[in-house]
Amino acid sequence: MDLRFSDAEELFRAEFQQWLEENIPTSWRARGFWRSLEPEHAFEMRREWETKKAVAGYAGIQWPTEYGGRGGTPGMRAIYDVEMVRYRAPITVNTLGLSFLGPTIMALGTEQQKKDVIRPLLFNEVIWCQGFSEPNAGSDLAALQLKAELDGDCYVLNGQKIWTSYAMHADKMFGLVRTSKEENRHRGITFLLIDLKKPDGTYADGIEVRPLKQMNGARDFGEVFFTDAHIPVANVVGEPGNGWQVAMFLLSFERGASALPQYQTFRRELDDIIDLARGMDRLEDPEIRDRIGRNVIELECLRLHCLHQLTENERGQNLGMNSSVTKLQWSETHQDVGELFTDVAGLHHQIAAGIDETRDLLGSFMSSRSETIWGGSSQIQRNIVAEQLLGLPK
Amino acid sequence: MFFTLDEDQRAMQTVLRDYLRANFPIRAVHEVYDNEAHDGDPVELWQAARESGWAAVMVDEQYGGLGLGLLEAALIARCWGEGCVPGSLLITLLATEALRLGASPAQKSEWLPRVAAGQAKLTLTTTGRASFVGNTVTGEATFVEYAHVADLIVVSLSDGRLCLVRPTEPTTEITTQDALDRSTRFCTVRFDHAPAECLPNDVMEELTLRGTVLKANDLAGIARGALTRTVDYVKTRQQFGKLVGSFQAIKHSLADLHVATTMAEHSSLYAAHAVEAAQGDRQFAASVAKAKCNETARDVTAAMIQFHGGIGYTWEHDAHLFFKRAKRGEYQYGNTSFHRKQITRTAIAGARHAPTVSQVGQHVSAGRG
Repeated sequence: MDLRFSDAEELFRAEFQQWLEENIPTSWRARGFWRSLEPEHAFEMRREWETKKAVAGYAGIQWPTEYGGRGGTPGMRAIYDVEMVRYRAPITVNTLGLSFLGPTIMALGTEQQKKDVIRPLLFNEVIWCQGFSEPNAGSDLAALQLKAELDGDCYVLNGQKIWTSYAMHADKMFGLVRTSKEENRHRGITFLLIDLKKPDGTYADGIEVRPLKQMNGARDFGEVFFTDAHIPVANVVGEPGNGWQVAMFLLSFERGASALPQYQTFRRELDDIIDLARGMDRLEDPEIRDRIGRNVIELECLRLHCLHQLTENERGQNLGMNSSVTKLQWSETHQDVGELFTDVAGLHHQIAAGIDETRDLLGSFMSSRSETIWGGSSQIQRNIVAEQLLGLPK
Repeated sequence: MFFTLDEDQRAMQTVLRDYLRANFPIRAVHEVYDNEAHDGDPVELWQAARESGWAAVMVDEQYGGLGLGLLEAALIARCWGEGCVPGSLLITLLATEALRLGASPAQKSEWLPRVAAGQAKLTLTTTGRASFVGNTVTGEATFVEYAHVADLIVVSLSDGRLCLVRPTEPTTEITTQDALDRSTRFCTVRFDHAPAECLPNDVMEELTLRGTVLKANDLAGIARGALTRTVDYVKTRQQFGKLVGSFQAIKHSLADLHVATTMAEHSSLYAAHAVEAAQGDRQFAASVAKAKCNETARDVTAAMIQFHGGIGYTWEHDAHLFFKRAKRGEYQYGNTSFHRKQITRTAIAGARHAPTVSQVGQHVSAGRG
């Protein structure tokens, strides 16, 4: 057993740390900084910085250089994830593309798709959103109805997507459409890359995007409506009709130690909560101390779990449905951390958004309520663990 | 990055499991439970230990041991927990660590080869009061495992030192208690000017840490053993015309318990590594593991009873073996509250300097030059 990274990986860490040190202004690292900005302005700053980082060679760490990646190891990817959080680097504006579409294209895409998708994704020339959920297809994803009818070398799309994160910023969507009605509803679904915008930046014909205001006040997600929108058949990933397999592959895809950023973020939040408790004279409260201990234990388990997953990844083991274990551990624990924050702050949490020191904790607490829903709710994850890992009957 | 078992360790785990499945299945544990006259220390397990060297897994090869580390010892503890295996092997293994780490060369030469040959059983006292005066020990120790079969007792003295006592009447009086969990035997031991020799090195803290790690792994094994059996049962039991394992009330609970058990396994495995490799976070890692394994073993074994229904509450069923062993382990080497307090203290002291993944990596590189 050896929990060290290799010399090459440590060298990468040192280089990347230096780059981050030199390229993240001190003011950006202050508590509450990003949430103090006007959201659109913050988005543009993040987008610009992330592109600069990609130009410097710190993007697509594990992806081949021929597509714009760095060609690094899973360990470098893990180090990258952790250092980004430690240095309070701006969070990515292309999270769905980086976390889900990129790995899927690398594994299942055609050579042309790899060339077309990866580099523009890494350099933020294209912002991606994910079109899975529909009004009547949430946890029951296979109930999706967005119709795609073949017309020459195009599909004609009619229908709607909802809860589409980054819809307001996205240039393109990777989504699931129904290309044929089959007896087995898992068939006849196709995974499609959809241009939402024209080259001039205006929405394409037949595409309408409307924002939805979230419980945290942000407008990060929205609805996308399709009315006779034309999408080339060449934009299919995988084969027409096997989109369900592509989507399941994508959803279980947790390349590398992908929950390490969550560990690193939540552990720092816990430190901030400890600081807050100290400041509020609540650090001697046995109940609070007990809850701190519980959260530390669960987060430490998460860290070790991630290092184990990283090891399995390096050994070429397929993690498969184990990503559901990872998601349950981090998302459920994060909610507990958030509850500790409100218990420490008491009624002060109500006005926390106006205070630099507590704004992030409140924001993260609000986000934590969405984390057990998106990407498969905790209930769906438990079904997966029970049926796929423990082999319990449907 | 390599945080998993290596090929040799996997092979060892397979050998242990195969041996227990073939030679000491859960039925055999019931027999020890039910036989009032049994001393609780099955002869066949010691025969196997003699042949395989399990009791001396950490003893240096020069004394006839296997020369392996705490990780391999933890695997034995895990397999023992997985099958609720009784016997004095685990406590011998731990008490031997006191000698390996703290004894003089003469003491080592006298005892380690005998342990390695499976000819000496050892035990260790951790609670009670005992003082060392004029090369004798006087006092009382409680909850001493398998003192009634031990050839040597490692006694924790009230002043923090350790000493060795060969139990002989009348200076050592051993009373065996009838414990709830009959996969061990608890004894009360009274020393009245019992001849003793001290260990020259102060290894009490190290020994406690190692005991904590082994117990955590025992509990992780209990949790996995109980979970596997429960999952198997709900796949076959029918009610309302359906397999009960198809009901989400059961499924979701078992899914959560699988997550918890997985975390218990990670934390107890890491604790074994951290203690063995003298990592800076060894105390913290041991506390995290023990606290997590305590709770998980308790929760899974309780669910085992619950999900088996009425049959799960019977004496004939396996569930109570797991439940009682988990209960016992929960209070050995620090209960959950004790360890959680340690963890909180560490976290509060380190807030703003919390250990990070990268720092752990750097720490190790620095430590090993």
